[in-house]
Formats: sequence, structure tokens, C-alpha cells
Amino acid sequence: MKKVFQSAYLAFIFLFLYVPIIVLVIYSFNTSRFSTNWQGFTLDWYRMLFTDGPLMEAFANSLIIALSSSTIATVLGTLGAFAFYRYRFLGRQVMYSFVYVLMMSPDIVMGISLLMFFITIGLSVGVTTLLLAHVTFCLPFVVVTVYARISGFDRHIIDVAKDLGASELQMFRHIVLPMLMPAIIAGWLLSFTLSLDDVIVSFFTTGPSFEILPLKIYSMVRLGIKPEINALSAVMFLVSLVTVTAAHFFFAKENK
Amino acid sequence: MKKVLVLFLAFFLPLGAFAADREVYVFNWSQYIDPAVLDLFKKETGIEVKYSTFESNEALFAKLKILKKNGYDVAFPSTYFVERMRRLGMLKPLDHAKLPNMKNLNQGLLNKPYDPDNAYSVPYMWGSSAIGVNAKVVDPSTVTSWDDLWNPAYKGKVLLMDDVRDVFAMSLRSLGYSGNETDPARLKEAYKKLLKLKPSVKVFNSDSPKQPFLNNEVVIGQIWGGEVYQANEENPDIKYIYPREGATFWADNMVIPASTRNIDHAHAFIDFMCRPDIAKMNCEYVGYATANAKAQEMLDEKTRNHKAVYPDKADLDRGEFQTDVGEAIMTYEKYWELLKTQ
Amino acid sequence: MTRGSRFRNFAIGSPMLWIAVFVVVPYLIVVLFSFLTRDPEGIVTWTLTLENYREIFSPVFLKVCGNSFILALGTTALTLLLAYPFAYILTRIDENVRRFLLVLMIIPFWTSSLIRTYALIILFKANGLLNTFLLATGLISEPISILYTETAVFIGLVYTLLPFMILPLYASLLKLDRRLMEAARDLGATSRHVFFHIVLPLTLPGIIAGSTMVFLPALGLFYIPDLLGGARSMLIGNFIKNQFLTTSNWPLGSAASVVLTLLMFLLLVWFFISTRRAHSGDMETVK
Repeated sequence: MKKVFQSAYLAFIFLFLYVPIIVLVIYSFNTSRFSTNWQGFTLDWYRMLFTDGPLMEAFANSLIIALSSSTIATVLGTLGAFAFYRYRFLGRQVMYSFVYVLMMSPDIVMGISLLMFFITIGLSVGVTTLLLAHVTFCLPFVVVTVYARISGFDRHIIDVAKDLGASELQMFRHIVLPMLMPAIIAGWLLSFTLSLDDVIVSFFTTGPSFEILPLKIYSMVRLGIKPEINALSAVMFLVSLVTVTAAHFFFAKENK
Repeated sequence: MKKVLVLFLAFFLPLGAFAADREVYVFNWSQYIDPAVLDLFKKETGIEVKYSTFESNEALFAKLKILKKNGYDVAFPSTYFVERMRRLGMLKPLDHAKLPNMKNLNQGLLNKPYDPDNAYSVPYMWGSSAIGVNAKVVDPSTVTSWDDLWNPAYKGKVLLMDDVRDVFAMSLRSLGYSGNETDPARLKEAYKKLLKLKPSVKVFNSDSPKQPFLNNEVVIGQIWGGEVYQANEENPDIKYIYPREGATFWADNMVIPASTRNIDHAHAFIDFMCRPDIAKMNCEYVGYATANAKAQEMLDEKTRNHKAVYPDKADLDRGEFQTDVGEAIMTYEKYWELLKTQ
Repeated sequence: MTRGSRFRNFAIGSPMLWIAVFVVVPYLIVVLFSFLTRDPEGIVTWTLTLENYREIFSPVFLKVCGNSFILALGTTALTLLLAYPFAYILTRIDENVRRFLLVLMIIPFWTSSLIRTYALIILFKANGLLNTFLLATGLISEPISILYTETAVFIGLVYTLLPFMILPLYASLLKLDRRLMEAARDLGATSRHVFFHIVLPLTLPGIIAGSTMVFLPALGLFYIPDLLGGARSMLIGNFIKNQFLTTSNWPLGSAASVVLTLLMFLLLVWFFISTRRAHSGDMETVK
């Protein structure tokens, strides 16, 4: 009985999360250019999508930025959470407070202040500044997630490792890192998701030579979002779904 | 690990380091130029177009204000932002000798108060914002004035733009003032009148006002002509009415920001965009009204005569282009905040 | 220098340097701006003033703050209620399936939030899928209005922010020692007792992390409430954005941002002190 209830609850949440996406996939086959009401079936948007070079390029750029910024943010954030937890150093509390300040800074404030900062230090805007900005706004989400897991640890495990003669690095690598893994994965997933969807900060911190997908999408609003975007979202959704499912069954088999 | 690092640096460092000299950086709304036009431009001039997008005039303005160099060669701000940018020295003056194709433009759209003699800007696309109604529910012949939005029969069914200037322009016009009013007393009057309308408003939307109409959420409200034209592809009952007080007109313009890298390429690009065949391609791709008179003549009759897109002269003359209100914008914003928090 | 201290320096140095350069310094620019004067011809003039702070404390701003606060608080409570059982059930599943479900949970969020919000509009609108479905099944006889109501706003916000609650909860629930709960049960504790006296306190760090990660971003969010709620009211995000973009009043926008940070900071400090009392030892550190 309990099992049934639990499965039902999981199913309910997944339904909540997936219904809008399924609607989106269905509407990507809608003839209507403005995709409000169903007008008929077409594959045109998919055809147009694969011939739209700039759109595909922006999409590829977005993926590159999201993958690299979330990875860098995860490394830095994990180290940061560990440092906040284990070491006492000058300015520790202040730095920890700034993690929260960053999390609540409105996008527009972050975007403008970062742009002014980059200009002041003579960095011209482009892919580098965009990457720096993305790592920055992903960072607090990793720190907070990892810190929440580490702060519930039994401190004695670390002490025992130290007593057995492990160096800080060994202790971090062999004891702490494996225990933090679920939080590290969670932090990476959050960062990747955030980076892939950011508009305002990206708008201010990227340059004329580097265009990413969310900027293109938001800027379409005035003329009506092209149904190609629905097609692109549907393709990306299905590719992620298939990849993840395939990986799951592949590894599940291997583990047996 | 080292290899990864090297590859990583190799990817991120060189970009932005060289600015190739056969490029022009264009800053625009997405999908606002036919991609085929960009290819043609490269074929004919050898200059490659790098196309970046912005999502609002305000954001464009803020970014160009901070960028002092290595910015964009051509940008596409709307009406009063041209005036504001010009006033603040954010634009380079145009060399008309390098823009022979300007002669093809609609003379009725040149030399407007926001840029006398078009010293800094060239109109590209233009349009209006007026009253939209759903003819299934509201008889279009009964709606002739902005005041009709205040009709209690439409309570909870009204749409307003989510833009302080557009909303106040409507209220000011209905009071018989200019939509570019700067007198605080008159602005207050307009605000008082809007307060009475607020309970009737179902939604503020300026991103895509056609959607609430198509979704049957509203039956009357402010809307852009171009949006009605698009909406009619799905629902012919959405009608567009130019109120007797006059509609608000806007134009998107090509300008050269002060941060340009190559002013010659910028001129070459703007002139290319003014060629009738090119303007026609863009107009057909975007679906808005072209500022190019020659191109307009080349359009098919149905589009050319759609009143929502190309108003007749009387409606154009009655209407008004938005101009920069300078410091009065602070007063507008104060009343806007009050209106929104009521 | 030992290997250990080299690692220590690296672990402290690299993230702290990043935060100092890319967070603290830009934030100081914002703080500086909040004390300068707006320049109609440029951005700011270098005249120090407190005027911006005086101007901020107006009834309008307080109301805007109040609106945002209620919305963010409600969203946090709802996401916590929905996410906690989900994360809890997830941690009790076999490891392979669990990881698979976790990634499956996040995949919908790789679609642009604007596009997802549009999909919600298709569902909620007067002639939308939900109404069509309810009418067809005879559950309702008139279309119900969901779009442009508070219900739609909350559904949209919860939908957008759910993973920010689920993931930290999941990460901290996963380390829960099940033997502890079994032991308590063996000693005669009821399920309710076990939950409130063992599970909940042990997962508190996760709850706090998830709640801050939902609450703080929710404060600044405005386009989802605008799109789904009809933009009839103003939120702190709109307010700050308008100062920067509509009126180019960057000093006032900066001051609003600083005040927001300070208010939230006081709230968090109060929160941490009260939870630390309940859960002492958390912030204790070694040299």
C-alpha cells in the first residue's frame, strides 16, 4: 500500500513536470505560425530548423557555455563549500555572506555591474566575459548545495583519516569527495540548467561576436516566437531523454 | 588533463582577440532581417554580417551606454530612443552621400521630430498602436475613441500595453493632450483617468498583445497593427481601429552607434538595406510595414492595402510619433508605479 | 610547505579569489552607485548623496517589497511541501533507478523557461487544454479562469523553481542514516515522532539550502508572474529593472538592490541564529 502511494506521488510530480513539455512537443507540429490554437499537422518547422544556421550556431554556443561554466562552477563551488566548512581564514564569514548576496542579486543589477567591471579592467566583452559571468552566477548554487550536505557529516571521519596520517588532499580526495558526490552532481545539474536559461546577465556580458540561444529566443518575443524554437526544444528534449535512458540501461546492465 | 586545458584555452582566448576587417556587427531584434539578405550582402560586398540580438530598446540603450569601443556597427532602436541616444552623443552622424538609396524611402516617414533631417537615423520598419477588438463580442462600429476602453461593459476584458509610455500616451490623447506631454499637471490628470480604467484591465502585455485576444481572455485593448495582421491569419474577427484622437506611431531605425568598429561598413550596410528589392525581401520575411516606398509598391495588393499595416493618410496625419520626454520620464515612472501598486 | 597546506591554500584561495573579484568588487560598484547622483546627460555624477535611500523608503516601494515577499514566501512553502516527499521517496529507491529519475526530473528544465511558460499559457487559457478537457469530461459546465489569476502565478513559479528545492533536499536526505530511524522505531517511537524528532532535524541543512535557493531567486523573478498573472501589480524585480532601464536612474536602482540585500540579510542572520540554536555545531570549524 505504501509502495503504491509512493509510486503514485512520484508519477504525479513527473506528470506536473512533463505535461507542459509534452504540450510543447505536440504543438511543434502545429501549422499555426503563432502556435496558440491547433490548426493542423506539419513538419515544416523541423525542416526550417535544420537549415537555420545562425540558430543552430547559437544553440551550440549555449551548450558549450553551459557545459564549461557549470563544470568550472562545480569545481570552484565544491572547493569553496569544503573550505567554508573545514578551514578558518580571514574574511570567511564575509565571503560566505556574499554567496547569498549573489544569489539574490536581480539579474539586471548583476549584468550591469559585471559589464561595468569588465570594461573598467579593460576586458572586451565576448565569450570570455560571458563564461566568467556564468560561472559567477552558478557558483552560489553549488556552494549552498554542497555545504548543506557536508555540514551534516560526522566530523570524526575526517579526524580519523587525519590520525591515520592522510594529508589534506588525500583526505579530501578519498573521504570527502565520495561522500559529497550526490551534492556535487546536484550542483552541476542546477548550474547547467541555470546557465542554459540565462538572458539578462548574458545580454550585458556577451559581445557582438558571440550569440547564445536564450538571447535569440527572448528577442523573438516582439515578432512572435518562431515555431522553429518549439521544434528545437522538442528535439533537444527528446535527445536528452533518449541519451539519459540509454545511458541508464547501459550502466544498469554493466553493474549487474 | 593538460591537453584539455590547452584545448579549452585555444577555444576561448582567440575569439574576440581579432576583429576581422571584413565584418559588420549588427545589433537587432531576432528574425528582423531575412537571412537571405545577409547572404546577398556578403556575396556583393564581401563583408560578413555578425548578427546579435536584443530584447528591448531599454536594454539596448543601457548596453550601448556602457560600451565605449569595439561595439556594434549598426543598431535598430525605435523612435524616441534615437532621439535620446542622439542627445547623449551615443550616435555617429550619417553621411548621406554614402546612402544614395535613401531616396527610395517613404517621404512621410522622414524628417520627424525625433530626428530632424534624419541626420542620425534611417527608418526601417514602422507601425502603429491603436485599438483592437474582438468583433465576435464587440461591435467594431461602436468603437471610435480611446474613451471606449473606459466603457464599463468591458470590465475585466481590457488589455493595455505593459509600457509606461504607450499607456500614458493613450490616456493623454483621450484627454486631448499630446502623447509626448511633459507637463506634470497633465500627467497627473492622465494618471487619475487611468486609475479609473485599472479595475477593468485584465492584463498588461506589450510582448505579444495578440495572444490574449486569440486566447479569448480579452475583447478590447491596445494592440499593434502588425500584431492584428498576424492574428488575422488565425482569427479574422480581431479588428483594428484607429481612434479619432489618433494612434501612436513608431518606427525602428538604423543608426550607427558611437562604439562602431568600421563606419564605412556600417554605411554600406544601411544603404544596402534601403535598396527596394532588399527592403521588399525583408518586409515579406518580417511581415511589418516597410519604410521603403519603392518596396511598398512592389508588394502584393492584399498586404499593401491592409489598413492595420499601412494606414491611410488621414489616420497617419491624425496620429503622433513618440518623442523623448527627457526628464519627465521620472514623473511618468512615478505614476506608473502608483498605478501598478493600486 | 607541506602538501596538506598547499591543498588548503588552493581550496581556500581559488574560490575566494573568484568571489572577491567577480562578486565583491562588482557589488561594491553597486554600493558606490547607490550613493551617487543620477546624471540626465550621462550615467552618474560624482556627487555623494543619501537622497536615493531617502527616496526608496516610500509607500510604493514598501508595497512592492511586500508583494514580492509574499509571493516568494508562498512559492517557497509550496515547493517545499511538494519537493520533500518527492526527494524522500527518491532516496529510498535503488541507486541506479534513483539517479536515472533524478536526471529525468531535470530534463524538462533544459527547455527555455519562456517557452515552458508559453506552454503553461496554452494549458491554462480560457480556450485552453485544461478547460477543454474539464468541459469534455463534464466536470465543469463553464470555462474556469485560471490564466491571469494568482493560482496561475503560483503554479508557474513552483513549476520553475521546483528543482532548486528537490536537488539540495535529495543531496542531504541521501545521507540520512536509516539505522537511526529503525532504532527509534524499535524503542517504540511512532512514525510521526520519528519524522519530527529525527528525520526533520537531520535534514534541516537541506531544507534551509533548498528554501534559500527558491526564496532568494523568487524575490527577483518577475516575468513569470507578469506573463501568467497579467502584470497588474509591480514586483521588486520590475521596480529595479525600471530604474535601470526606463528612467536610467541607476543610483536609485542600486539603492533598491542594496536595501533588498540588507533586508534579506537580516532575515537570514535571524534565521541562521535561530536554527543554529536548534542544531548547534553546524558552523563549528577547525583551523
